[in-house]
Amino acid sequence: MNSKKKILLVDDDPAFREINRMVLETSGYEVEEADSKPAALEKIRSTTFDLVILDLMMEERDSGFQLAYALRQEEATRTLPILMLTSAEEKTGFSFDVAQDREWMKVDDYAAKPLKPAELIARVEKMLQKGKT
Amino acid sequence: MNQEGGKAKILVVDDEEIIRIGCSRILEDQNMWVEEAANGRIGWEKIQASPDYDLVLLDLMMPEMGGLEVLDEIQRIDSKIVTIMITGFATIETAVDAMRKGAYDYLPKPFSPDELRAKINRGLEKRRLTMEAEQLREERDRNLLQLSKEKSRTLTLINCMSEGIIATNRAGQIVLINPAACNMMRLSCERALGATVKGLLENPDLEQHIAEMLETVQRTAIMTRKEFTTSDKRVLQSNTSPIVDDQGETLGTITALLDITEDKKIEQMKSDFIRLVSHELKAPIGAIEGYLNLIIEGLTAGDSKKEREIIIRSRDKAENLLLLINDLLDMSRAERKISKTMTPTDISAVLKETVEFYRNEAKSKSLSFGLELPEPLPPVLANQDDLGRLFSNLISNAIKYTPEKGSVQVSVRQAEGQLMVEITDTGIGLSEEDLQKIFGEFFRAKNAVQRKISGTGLGLSICKRIIEDHNGYIQVESKLDVGSRFRVILPVHKLNVN
Repeated sequence: MNSKKKILLVDDDPAFREINRMVLETSGYEVEEADSKPAALEKIRSTTFDLVILDLMMEERDSGFQLAYALRQEEATRTLPILMLTSAEEKTGFSFDVAQDREWMKVDDYAAKPLKPAELIARVEKMLQKGKT
Repeated sequence: MNQEGGKAKILVVDDEEIIRIGCSRILEDQNMWVEEAANGRIGWEKIQASPDYDLVLLDLMMPEMGGLEVLDEIQRIDSKIVTIMITGFATIETAVDAMRKGAYDYLPKPFSPDELRAKINRGLEKRRLTMEAEQLREERDRNLLQLSKEKSRTLTLINCMSEGIIATNRAGQIVLINPAACNMMRLSCERALGATVKGLLENPDLEQHIAEMLETVQRTAIMTRKEFTTSDKRVLQSNTSPIVDDQGETLGTITALLDITEDKKIEQMKSDFIRLVSHELKAPIGAIEGYLNLIIEGLTAGDSKKEREIIIRSRDKAENLLLLINDLLDMSRAERKISKTMTPTDISAVLKETVEFYRNEAKSKSLSFGLELPEPLPPVLANQDDLGRLFSNLISNAIKYTPEKGSVQVSVRQAEGQLMVEITDTGIGLSEEDLQKIFGEFFRAKNAVQRKISGTGLGLSICKRIIEDHNGYIQVESKLDVGSRFRVILPVHKLNVN
């Protein structure tokens, strides 16, 4: 890895941001945080990220979807890999089955919270690998 | 009837003693009860005295009162008494006349014992049949009356039921529908009665359901339950059974309808709430797990200061979880109304105690913290624990959301049978948008979250429940960055209301 990959962590829960930041930083990634959809959009417009990790439910129950949708609409971020995290499978009515919801969710991967450090790193690595080819 | 269980009762009316004695002897030999009368008048008197004779043997030609006269009287009081006329040769025409008048038969003199026995037995047979027919008729009338009473009772019962009832015949036509069913299906009962189910109910599910039941060939009782939603979004539950005769033939159907819209709503609310609670419980536990994983997997790289920080965070999350669980328990306590004892309570004592409890906390933030209490105050009918919980929540909130050197004031006013408790702070306030939502479960104001002020999002919804339990209400005025005023209004307990 010649230059550090940059990841944006979007979650309204400071505890999760802190935990995931430590996990990612230990694995050699550069991490920035945002606690809401507008804050995330602002950061993405001013900085180039390699990956976005997104919580589904923030200020609204589908803030994560809204943000993902907004990113897909913009030319600059159309292919930016998005990992969607959530602890609310049943609540949203989404099955979190890629085949079923992918169209809708417009994200590259999804995972249920909480995610073990090793698994988070594995997913992030895999997504960044895919982005390269 | 005397014939049954006892002897047949016979009256012999003849002015010739020899005939009376002869008849008596022959009939008594037949195990009959025989009485005699020496002329028409005596005979008539006997019949009047005890009109339970089965048969009267009546001579036509008698002094004082003739046979025909007696016959007329017998016919008048009880035509079921069988009368056999005794006649001489010369009076056969009169005998025929007597039969027209209602006599059963006649016996020409002289007659043999056999002839007498034959006529009497036939007469008694006639009497028995008449009595039996009479009894059957009475029984039938009684049954019909009972049936119609029963029918009207059942109909009243069905019409009073809050469940809807629809009965159809084999052709699927409605033969009975009660007002509840008409109401549920939004039908006019007059229009529905006799109409075919198909196309009438505006509900294909139920129509098909009934049609299926009509087609079932089954001896055993079956019932199928379905739920369907009406066009105006009510949820009805239908229980349909075929009516089957003893040959297994379907005669029609009965459908009972239940409006379960409210149940469904409550069910939905309950499961929404459970989902919400699970989410709220899962978040801090997930955070604790995440923190611990950082240490376990060596991501802190042995930095003991960092590790300590993480452990403290975990403990804070655990504390928060405990608070949340306590709030949940408070909430369920606020809902259990039955076991709650309401007593006339002095609100000033509760307020003094609560304010005292939070004095140190207010002092540590250098808040101006005061209680203004005009005494004496009339009591309110309340559960003391609930009232304590209510003011604790409101006062601790005010302190929590008010920055250092601010002010939290508690005051009470009395007006028109009501007590008004006001908790006014110079805190961070609420946006107009958030103000609408603060009593909802797990709602946290945006500015509170931004400032990292911890809370469960249940406090105010507990307050609201408690206040409503006490027939009161709560008002809030608030301005962002200026402060909030919560006003609790409770009715004064009226003593000796008669």
